[in-house]
Amino acid sequence: MNRQVFEARVLPHLDAGYNLARWLLRDVQAAEDAVQEAALRAFRHAHTLHDGDARPWWLAIVRNTCFTALARRRQGRLNHDEVDFDEVEFEATLASGQAAATDPAAQLQRTHTRQRIDAAIAALSPPLREVILLRELEDLDYAAIAAITGVPIGTVMSRLSRARARLRSALARDHLGD
Amino acid sequence: MTPHPPAPEPDDDVLRRQIRRHATRHAAPEALRAGLRTQLALAEARQATPPATATHALARPPWPWTAGLLGAGAALGLACALWLPLQRSDTGGPVTLADATLVQAHVQALRAGPLTQVLSTDRHTVKPWFQGRLSFAPTVVDLASDGFPLLGGRISTLQGQTLAVLTYTRDRHIISLFIEPGSTGLPLQQQAVRGFHLVHWGDGAMSYWAVSDLAAGELARFAQRWSAQAAAQ
Repeated sequence: MNRQVFEARVLPHLDAGYNLARWLLRDVQAAEDAVQEAALRAFRHAHTLHDGDARPWWLAIVRNTCFTALARRRQGRLNHDEVDFDEVEFEATLASGQAAATDPAAQLQRTHTRQRIDAAIAALSPPLREVILLRELEDLDYAAIAAITGVPIGTVMSRLSRARARLRSALARDHLGD
Repeated sequence: MTPHPPAPEPDDDVLRRQIRRHATRHAAPEALRAGLRTQLALAEARQATPPATATHALARPPWPWTAGLLGAGAALGLACALWLPLQRSDTGGPVTLADATLVQAHVQALRAGPLTQVLSTDRHTVKPWFQGRLSFAPTVVDLASDGFPLLGGRISTLQGQTLAVLTYTRDRHIISLFIEPGSTGLPLQQQAVRGFHLVHWGDGAMSYWAVSDLAAGELARFAQRWSAQAAAQ
């Protein structure tokens, strides 16, 4: 596949890939590096991209690049004790975000809601975070999510259900209504 | 941190609506998009035609450095490689060691990176980046309107000298502009080294070397536009 065709098919999904990388790595520079690495890898393996929507294929490459980066960040240390939802981090993110909230009153509630939801998603473990992002923000079906994350559909469904339960409980504490 | 009773089991749809409506969607920065296109162009050039030549100083074998990106330079490069030690420049002067070093630094940046340590959205993102990294303040101009968009900048140390390097692109070609403090006024001088072209000039404050595999005339036009724009700043 030549570069023009590749760019025409994949670059429209650059935002989706970057958003996933930002959410998984939670760092601007790391996300940019991962997307760049993923794009070059995708281009090298462009022959594996078939007709149809390039987005799941591209997101799978971004996702794998991000998990490799996460593993590198942990220096190969396996995280067997990784919790589904990091309470300490959730509270800390909220505290720092609320201190910085200086928006006009009309924006305040929305900003507050955004902070809570962002903080709650961020506090999820990466495997739970990615299924929520792929399902709710990217609107992918279970089969596509299973293909991207490399786990069976049943696992996708159970992770989604755990992630939703965690998010609900985190958000309910604040009586978030809308 | 205290345990809370689970929320009254709302519908998944409610949660989904909240997430879709409120969760931050991070859009890819423009600089990432631009940088990516350059990287892809370079990757394409690298995987194109196999090498037709090699020079010991420059090419670590599997890198097909004559391909695509270096395009027209290939045939010329082969000719030059056979003819290298005594090659004379376009202007008749001998090729100096410094010229070969600049070409090597240019190729090294293309091959192994970093091509840019700071990506450009415009010159105002690049110029401040050099602050505190150099003992001089290089002039930065964007020549996008002349067809030579500024990609970014980097620092390069050659023979003990720290230089500012600005990177521009023209179609698939990359131009490295090396900037070193100190010069007398010097009109544009053009040279060719192994299929690469160099244009060297000085404005009384700085010395400049533009290095690229771009056609000689195009690189000269770049240098003219650059020095005119810099003088106008």
